[in-house]
Amino acid sequence: MLEIHDLTHAEDGVTHLDHVSARLAPGTLTTILGRTGAGKTSLLRTIAGLLVPDSGEVSLDGQGWSRLPPWKRPTAMVTQQFINYPHLSTLDNVAFPLVRKGLRWPAARDSARAMLDRVGLSAMVGRRPSELSGGQQQRVAIARALVKQAPVLLLDEPFVNLDYKLREDLREELVDMLRNESGLIVLYASTEPREALSLGDRILLMAEGRLLDDGEPQQVFGAPATIEAARVISDPPINILPLTVGAHVAAGPFGAQDAGDLIRGLAPGEYRLGLRAADLRPGGRHVARVVLSEVSGSETVTHLDLAGFALVMHEKSVVTHPPGAEIAVDANLARGFIYGADGTLLRREAPHGQD
Amino acid sequence: MYRQKYLFLTPGLIALVAIILFPLLFTIRVSFSGWDVYNPGLSWKGGQNFSRLMADSRYWAALGRLSVMAVGTVLIQYVLGFALALLVWRDVIARRFFRVLFLVPMMTTPVIMSVIWRTIFHESLGPLNPIIRGLGLPGVPWLSDPVWAFVAVMLVEIWQWTPFMFLLLLAGLLSLPSEPYLAARIDGAGPVRTFFSVTFPGLAAISVGAIVIRLIEASKILDTVYVMTSGGPGESTETASYYIYIRGLRDFQIGYSAALSIIYLVIMIVALTIIAKLLVRFLVRPAP
Repeated sequence: MLEIHDLTHAEDGVTHLDHVSARLAPGTLTTILGRTGAGKTSLLRTIAGLLVPDSGEVSLDGQGWSRLPPWKRPTAMVTQQFINYPHLSTLDNVAFPLVRKGLRWPAARDSARAMLDRVGLSAMVGRRPSELSGGQQQRVAIARALVKQAPVLLLDEPFVNLDYKLREDLREELVDMLRNESGLIVLYASTEPREALSLGDRILLMAEGRLLDDGEPQQVFGAPATIEAARVISDPPINILPLTVGAHVAAGPFGAQDAGDLIRGLAPGEYRLGLRAADLRPGGRHVARVVLSEVSGSETVTHLDLAGFALVMHEKSVVTHPPGAEIAVDANLARGFIYGADGTLLRREAPHGQD
Repeated sequence: MYRQKYLFLTPGLIALVAIILFPLLFTIRVSFSGWDVYNPGLSWKGGQNFSRLMADSRYWAALGRLSVMAVGTVLIQYVLGFALALLVWRDVIARRFFRVLFLVPMMTTPVIMSVIWRTIFHESLGPLNPIIRGLGLPGVPWLSDPVWAFVAVMLVEIWQWTPFMFLLLLAGLLSLPSEPYLAARIDGAGPVRTFFSVTFPGLAAISVGAIVIRLIEASKILDTVYVMTSGGPGESTETASYYIYIRGLRDFQIGYSAALSIIYLVIMIVALTIIAKLLVRFLVRPAP
């Protein structure tokens, strides 16, 4: 069990880790999801020993790591950059951590060769990293991390610098490889909600160094604990609308009476309604002006202006909405989340996963 | 247009021939002459100068001495330069101050500094021996003992040119990528192993360049020897270039000193080529 206990780290007045705690079981792949600057890399670097926390501790199976320098910690790490040893061949790059563990070069090279075969680089053993493509360089880095057979594997957005197709392929390959590694604790940092939701057994949601939420993907996505958490895990962005409950019931530009059980029993007052972009749909009685429409693959994300409210609508088809055009929209308010004035989740209608 | 390129190249080629090739060719021609104080001019003596130098044990001894001095000083300069560069590479207090301080010796005039060092090493008037005696040790015959004089010349050379190594190696260190250091720490390499597995290989190419440049320069050592010891005591600090200077400009045996220079040049080219190739083989591209 990897235990992260109350980690705090600040530098130059900026808080990178703000009392972060988590317990990670062997055999699980946990994704750390957050935007740039959320503290994901700081957390991974602290676990690896590359960053000394101001307070808090990391321990594995009860053994504290505070006094362990990075080179003595049983961790392996793959970073965004394709980090390898430029002067060593691909084979020696992968053999290096094994030699550091005490293996002799011939035995280390045999293991390295087998690992390079697993990552599809058996034909490149004699090449130096500079003679490989970006994807191949990252495969070498992954091979170097896996060959070490460390109980904790830290993956810091390992594919973010690769093109989309290669990223998808490598991610699948990596997941396949990790399935064969039993008892491994894997932490995978990502800025992409879809990646986090599809990869992990568990999600740690982070923003500004704080842990916003921690749980299984469906749970974290299906009921974001705070507005901030909802914003981080929603892609396209979630719509946050003011919700007034009283004599006049309204959610932003929408009358909220059709929100059904969602608002039933709410005390009169001001709330916030979180409404996913997929829960806005074309048609209905509200007329919105198109600000921007983006087609991504087979989907369309449209930014709208409805009576002064900025909304985002997600359609699972390729649709042309010219900027400035007026289109009718409607909202499925019953699928929304109700947050209190402090931004914490009060109520949701029914569990629903990622659409 | 294609043919006209030679026209445009001509001025450069003329300058190249005039500056580099002509003096070299002229030296070769002089080396076959008997030009001396009594017979100035390009008389033809065939290979007599060369057969004479083959039997000139003083010349070969000076070459041997030069090899020891050049290789010794350059290696020590390299180790010290590397150590100093590592010292001020990372965040240390007054890093900029130390960087400039370490470069001061290189910015001084060699002849002037040799005079200063000769004064420092002076056995009765210099400040060094009183300090040594103050530590309870006997005074050192710095410039009157053959071995100590050789050491003294080497010390001044090391003092003067270590900053050159420092400068090149520091530039190399500052240009090293940080990523392999991260990898090494994660892969289980401590500071010493990281130095040998990341820093040293990363600086291999620069190291070879710096060592070869310094060897070329060190093989021409003359001014320090001239000022500090004049090759003495006896011939104990006489280097090849100083011996050529004696024969050419003191004895005025221009033809013979030209022959000495040509053989010296050939030996240097061959030796430095071999050294450079060996350094590249063992440092830049280590065998897997």
